[in-house]
Parts: sequence; C-alpha cells; structure tokens
Amino acid sequence: MTLHEFFIAPFAYDFMQRALFSAALLSVSGGLLGCILVLRRLALMGDALSHSLLPGVALAWLLFGPSTTALFLGALLAGLLTALGSALLSRLTRVKEDAAFGSLFIVFFGAGIALVSKLPTRLNLTHFLFGNVLGVSPTDVQLTAAVSAATVLVFAVFYRAILLETFDPVFHRATGGRGALIHFGFLALTVLNLVAALQTMGIVLALGLFLLPAVSAYLWCDSFSRLLLLSVGFALVCSLAGILLSYHAGLASGAAIVLCLGGVFLGSALFSPRYGAAALVLDRWRNRHPPAPRRG
Amino acid sequence: MPAATHHILRLRHVTVRYGQTAALDDVTCDIPCGSSTAILGPNGAGKSTLLRAILGWHPLAAGDVRLGDDHPQHALPRLAYLPQRQTIDWDFPVTVRKVVEQGRYPSLKLFQRLGPADLQRVDRALEELGLTALADRQIRMLSGGQQQRVFLARALAQGADVFLLDEPFAGLDLFGAEELTHILRTWEAQGRTVLAAVHDLELARRTFTHAVLLDTTLIAAGPVRDVLSPAHIDRAFRQGRCVHDNPLHSVRSADFPR
Repeated sequence: MTLHEFFIAPFAYDFMQRALFSAALLSVSGGLLGCILVLRRLALMGDALSHSLLPGVALAWLLFGPSTTALFLGALLAGLLTALGSALLSRLTRVKEDAAFGSLFIVFFGAGIALVSKLPTRLNLTHFLFGNVLGVSPTDVQLTAAVSAATVLVFAVFYRAILLETFDPVFHRATGGRGALIHFGFLALTVLNLVAALQTMGIVLALGLFLLPAVSAYLWCDSFSRLLLLSVGFALVCSLAGILLSYHAGLASGAAIVLCLGGVFLGSALFSPRYGAAALVLDRWRNRHPPAPRRG
Repeated sequence: MPAATHHILRLRHVTVRYGQTAALDDVTCDIPCGSSTAILGPNGAGKSTLLRAILGWHPLAAGDVRLGDDHPQHALPRLAYLPQRQTIDWDFPVTVRKVVEQGRYPSLKLFQRLGPADLQRVDRALEELGLTALADRQIRMLSGGQQQRVFLARALAQGADVFLLDEPFAGLDLFGAEELTHILRTWEAQGRTVLAAVHDLELARRTFTHAVLLDTTLIAAGPVRDVLSPAHIDRAFRQGRCVHDNPLHSVRSADFPR
C-alpha cells in the first residue's frame, strides 16, 4: 500500500471528509474542556453526563425520527437536566454532588435503554452507544463547527477567569469573580460538546476524546497554557490516526480514535520523563542503590 | 501615637446567622489603619465568619461593614484574603511566578495582557517575600512555608492594602512560623493593615499589635495587651465551663505519670 493509498485515498469519499472534519473540530474543543475536567477532578462526572444523554436522543428519535436537530436538542435537554438536577439535589438535600450525579445519570441511562428498546430497529442502539462515522451528515458537521467555535471563543475570552476558577476558586471569588457562572457555563459547554460528539464517537466513547488527550498532556506539561495546547495536539493527531485506522481495519470510528488516544495515554503514563511510572521507579531504584563514591 | 487614629475597617453591630444560630452577634469594633490585628477566640467564636463577613460572603442579618468610606464589595482590589490552606491542588501545573501573576488578573480587562508595570509589581512581590530564586519552580516543589509565601506574594502583587488571613499559622513548623511573624512585622512597619484569625493567644501577644477577642459576641477590642487581660480571656474561654487553668498555661507542662 502506498502512502497515498493509506493517507489520502480514504478522504476521496465525502463521508470520510465529514468524519475527519467533525473529529478535528471536536478535538480542538474537547482537548480544551478535557484539561479542565482533569484539573478539577470532574472526569467521572463527565462520564456520567455523557451517559445521561441517551434518553434525550432516544426520545427525539421516537418522536421526530432521524432529524439531526431534534437529536441534538433532545440530548442537550437530557444533559442539562442531569447537570441542573444534580446541582439542585446537592444544594437542597443532604446528598453530595457526586452521589447525586451518579444516581441521576444511571436513572437517565436506564430510561434511555428502555426507550431505545421501543425503537423500530435494533441497529440504532449500537449507533447511539458507539457512534457511526457513516452517519455524520453535513448538518452534523455544521452543528459541531458551531459548538467547537463557541467553546474556543469562551476559552479565549475567559481564559484568565477559567484558570483562576480552576486553580483557586476562593481567590477568584474574593477578587470579585463569578465562580458559579463559570462553573455552569463549563457544564453547559461540556454537554454541548458531548452532544456534538454523539455521531462520531457515540455516547459511551465521546468522553474519551475529551479526557484522554488532557490526561496524557497532564503527564508532560508544567504550565496551564502548554497543557491546553498539547492536549488539543494529542486529540487532533489521534483523531486523524483513529479515523484512518477505522477505515483500513473496518473498526467503529469512536473505538478506533479512543484506542489511539489510549495508546498515547499508556505511553505517557509509562515513559513521561518527569511524571511517568518508569521515571518514578528508576528514581526510587537509584535512591536505594546510590552509585559507589569514587576514590581518588 | 497620633492624636486621632484613622480606622480603615469599621464594623457596626455586625450580626451573621447560620439558620437559627448566631455566628456573630452584634459585633462593633474598629481596625486601626496600619495595625496588625489578631482575631482571637475559642473554636466557633466566629473568627473565620468575621473575615468572610468583611468580604461580603455572608449576608449580614444586621449591621454594617465599611472599608474606608466604601462597602467592601466595592473595594475588593484593596482586600486580599488568604483562606486556610487546604483548597489548592498542589499538583496543578503552574510555576511560582505564574501564581503571583494571578494577583494582577482581576485588574486586567478582557484581552489585556500583563504590562511592564504589572510585571514590575510581580517582581517586587517575589523579591519582598524572598521568592525570586524560586520563581520558576513548580508550586508542588515548595515547602509549606514557601507555599504560603507564594500566596502572600500574590496578595501583594494584587495591590491590596488590607490583608485578611485565616489561620495563617496553622500547619507551619517553628521556622515557618518565625518567618511569617517576621513578614507580618515588616508589613506593619510599612503601614499595611493585617487582620488575621489566630488561635494561639501567646503567639498573638508576640506578633500582633492589636486584637479582637470574640466569643460570638465581642469580648474586647484594642491594643493586644489590653485585650488579653485575664478577665477578658476568662470571659471568652471559660464562661462557666470547667477549665482548670488559665488558657495561656493550659499546655500541659508536666509529663503524665507512668
């Protein structure tokens, strides 16, 4: 197989171009959001959020059929309901926010599975859960582009507020920052991006495109801005690699992208010179076996 | 002593409630400009609540707080607040200098970058707290005392002139505490106002010029010597409860017999 056949030929197809384009757009916004998820320890909450989108998607499908806009709005509604619902539960009852999130998302996911089993054809479930690159329509790409642009814009305008709120919410508040606004804005952006990632990545795997590049970059970087950039870089490279892999090996696109990202993460976790496992083990070993002092 | 002391912070009948219970009850006191004032009292006396009330974080059930002639909410850049230290993630990928630069963020407009004047302030703050050599270190590589100095430097860079510190001595070893004492004395000499919640009376007596003694209500306020009279301490810490010693000597001095 020539390089041309491997890298260029697949993108002769329209659907491959659309898949690549939407994955690239998602990489940019997902890579940014993922860093905040990692630094604020919201990784599991993001996972819960993505699962809770299912009933919205299924209900929209039942009511309006395969209309992209309806699916988008249904998922958005379900995601925002979960986020707001758990925020309210944790403020109004004794239940803490993580438990509230965990309980709500599992109920939502259950409802989603129940609804999906009512759908005319069974095939659709795997489509929702794991994504289908063939299913990325031009409307999907437009929506993804809008969401991605909005995310980048928010990060560009509120970069310092986001940094302060992530690093030290108390200081942010004491200097007149609006922490609650940033927090809810962040949740809303996460839901929007998860919804946008639905077609390419699927509900179960969408978070992978956000989380894995960020947590890999976290193993390499010592500055917030570089963390954001490297995370986006990892996401972009792995999206391209994943889509090619899915084309040549006939894998689900979401799974292929997540596998590529997983490889980068594993490599970083093992071999990052400062924060990787190998460096740590080597360091300990050196401490236990100091080199013999030279005589002379 | 000047004939008329200027009071930078004035509290009048400040009352804060958590549900039914009063955390602060009708506290009226003045904090002199350029003083270092310790807020003292037993646990639950409302020391932290007083600091947060000054920041405007607790709606006042009654009373008023003034910073100079303003409501503090309208003069936030003049206030620097240092909470008890648990909330920071020390693994955050950020250098000492970047944290101190954060002090300048609130005064920047959207898209405005740090200017030469800002950077100069950051440099000066780093230098004043002896952090210049550590400026490019990651914050996780610092000792507890150094970490605290980073946040004091950020407060300086912010351009604040009133510093609200919540238990700044908690968790510091002897050396760290000595350093902090030295910093606070220097600030007092430079005319900065420090208001710190402290639970160690002896330390407060050594370090601060003024004190506010609380037990939900105000017991006493003024120069530290006058506030920490045996009668006041008695009222704040015992009030009918059975405590055998003067709290100043309540640290066990003899070993328990084996």
